Amino acid sequence: MAMDRRHLLKASLATGGLMGLGGCAAAPRGAGPGSAPVFRDSLLSLAPIRATTDRIFDLKVCLRPFRALGPRLDVEQIGGAMVVHNYGHGGSGWSLARGSANIAVQKAMSTSPARIAVIGCGIIGLTSAITAQRAGAQVTIYTRDLLPKTRSVRANGSWTPSSRIALTQAAGPAFGALWEQMARYSWKTYRSYLGLAGNPVAFCDQYALSDTPFQPAVHQPDPSVQGSYETTGMPQQNSEFGRYDDRIRDLMPRAETLPEGATPFPVKYVSRNSGMFFNFTELGQVLMREFYGAGGKVVIRQFHAPSELGGLPEKVVINCPGYAARDMWKDKAMIPVRGQTGWLIPQPEVNYGLSYNGTSVLSKSDGIMVLRAPGPVRGEMNGVGDSNEVASRSETESAVRVIERLFARFPKASA
Amino acid sequence: MGGKTILAALLTVVLAGAAQAQSPRSAWDGVYTDAQAQRGAALYARHCVMCHRPGLGGDYETPPLTGVFLHAWAGADLATLFDKVAVTMPLSRPGTLSPAENADILALILQANGFPAGTAELSADPGPLKAIRLDVARPARGAR
Repeated sequence: MAMDRRHLLKASLATGGLMGLGGCAAAPRGAGPGSAPVFRDSLLSLAPIRATTDRIFDLKVCLRPFRALGPRLDVEQIGGAMVVHNYGHGGSGWSLARGSANIAVQKAMSTSPARIAVIGCGIIGLTSAITAQRAGAQVTIYTRDLLPKTRSVRANGSWTPSSRIALTQAAGPAFGALWEQMARYSWKTYRSYLGLAGNPVAFCDQYALSDTPFQPAVHQPDPSVQGSYETTGMPQQNSEFGRYDDRIRDLMPRAETLPEGATPFPVKYVSRNSGMFFNFTELGQVLMREFYGAGGKVVIRQFHAPSELGGLPEKVVINCPGYAARDMWKDKAMIPVRGQTGWLIPQPEVNYGLSYNGTSVLSKSDGIMVLRAPGPVRGEMNGVGDSNEVASRSETESAVRVIERLFARFPKASA
Repeated sequence: MGGKTILAALLTVVLAGAAQAQSPRSAWDGVYTDAQAQRGAALYARHCVMCHRPGLGGDYETPPLTGVFLHAWAGADLATLFDKVAVTMPLSRPGTLSPAENADILALILQANGFPAGTAELSADPGPLKAIRLDVARPARGAR
């Protein structure tokens, strides 16, 4: 039977799918005129996002701990303690935590310590602690806050292993291989969290939507931009940021372009990809449970000077302070990169993410995350050098309105 | 008045100052003035309140400057605390306040945590600040 599948999809969408925006109007059910019950694939069952500004129930600002040289993983002796650094993961902390912790723990365990101290309980600290436990150490975490109050949970929480991870020149040619090692190790480890109750780690489809043809990303330097990190101590343009994704192309699915009308979205250009992301609440719970279950201890403590690490009872320390390293360790390569996420009330029925007109949306278990880079600067340079951690409600409202307008273009349900 | 006398007087003042800077003190010893804390409050309202909130209590994301703050800083000297404020704050423009302004804000923090005011202002110099310890409990000898 030669059926026009696209036509059927459209007919189905016009009657169900994304209608009923706002959850008030009941969409008419059943098939449209002249059409048999239609095959419904995942494209058709996309639930609408109730994007209205009154549903914004949280704003979060994070300062990505971007380090121009790439994450710090060297070892130094402080008093009687061997300190293994593990900080500076930029926008890739959740993604690279496992691989980075593996490298740090290999170094920490080289002296076969029975006990290890971990400083900090963001995703890097907590992951380092668990990794050290799995390697056979008794671990105490010293921290000001537990994971839910750290900057880690103010992040985006998607698999973005090369997001603002280093500057190509500052990190040097050897960094690519180190990055690949971390990314591959993390990817393997996170597989063991897929499918657990609550979906601590999950995949979903992510749609890129546009009214105009997609423009290929430009990574060439702009000759009109003066200076660079090397001359100013700050990156000056997007092309300075390291791009390493090609090294793990075999792991990542390719985005596919979908023909117009193949999705419910009222735009001409649609591409779809699948992406992994982290549900902070569930993953945080799973990790804390593992840490305590393996006999881990937490001491709430702030350190005021690096020398204090030398006085800890543990003589091997994994140091995971995140952005705080900038001042505590006087690390000039640490550069804050501001990022704000807004959160709409969770909609478990929404099982996808999208990006449209500079705004990104991702449905997670603890809310629908909305993200829009403020100001005229696009790409990695957005937020660079900005350490303002005060949330801007108008920034998120403008993002939500972009999505609200998008969904307003869907056919209205008839009364 | 002869030059010798002036020199001796100056020397006495300098020595007294040095002795004062070196002798250990407690934050309970009246190390700031009310007027200074008042200036600190005006600065706080301009540079700190948007994160640390009115009343210095912080919020979910920003640590408070009272309560658990004292737990975190118990036993530290004020030079270390001063340095932390001077280097890391305000978060959006770290290091932009003058030493005198940071001393005023530190005075406000001491006041908010129940430390008594005194007759001399808190210095912005590391030397004298180093000699002042942030005791959580009022030391017996410092009771007034």
